[in-house]
Amino acid sequence: MATFSLLVTANPHSSQGQFSAIQFAKTLLHQGHVIKRVFFYADGVLVASRLNCPPSDEYNLTKTWAKLAITHDFELTACVTVAMKRGIINATEADRNALTGENIDPAFEISGLGQLTEAMLESDRLVTFG
Amino acid sequence: MSKSLAIIFNKAPYGNQSGRELLDIALMAAAFDMEISALFIGDGVYQLLTNQQPDILHMKNHSSTYKALELYGIETVLVSSEDLEQRRLSESRLMPVSSLSNHKQINKTIAESDFVFML
Repeated sequence: MATFSLLVTANPHSSQGQFSAIQFAKTLLHQGHVIKRVFFYADGVLVASRLNCPPSDEYNLTKTWAKLAITHDFELTACVTVAMKRGIINATEADRNALTGENIDPAFEISGLGQLTEAMLESDRLVTFG
Repeated sequence: MSKSLAIIFNKAPYGNQSGRELLDIALMAAAFDMEISALFIGDGVYQLLTNQQPDILHMKNHSSTYKALELYGIETVLVSSEDLEQRRLSESRLMPVSSLSNHKQINKTIAESDFVFML
């Protein structure tokens, strides 16, 4: 049994990386491994918007991540710098930047790149999905 | 125990954000005292060119940040001589932040690292 963290940089709307990451995470958990944190970076942060609204017959990546993380008690963290650039905003940043609203899904948190480094230091493996 | 990290730059700057985003990872990990190698291969060697003028494209110039690598304690900065040669670039065209290396040495560095990043 090992501790894993994932780095997800894939764009949820235009590439398969997020789907692969979820399948990988499910398999890890099924095999008894532990996931410490899934860190979203680059276009990967786009999955953290609770306003993502795919057609009803398509897979909802945001909700799937949220359910998995809550069920298995691991963290979903989006990098603040790249998230803000892409319009993924929490209440604190909305307030600080005088924006009209926030859109982060409650299962996700926005934090700094230090959380990626910390995940590396506290995990046996980090696997990137780009 | 300190863990080691290899960061592979393999894309040219400005067509995408990967260079800038990898740089941010490198500097942050350096602040955590990780042992870091920055490796420039393939089109990634273009990241190190001097006199970049992305302001013409309304892009932010991140190339000067490569000069901060040493300041952050990142001493292993290797650029592939094979990939420079293939692109008809000489070392004199690059910022003085990297050491000339080769695929064999770069592969060895990757193999010996605990974590490997490429975006």
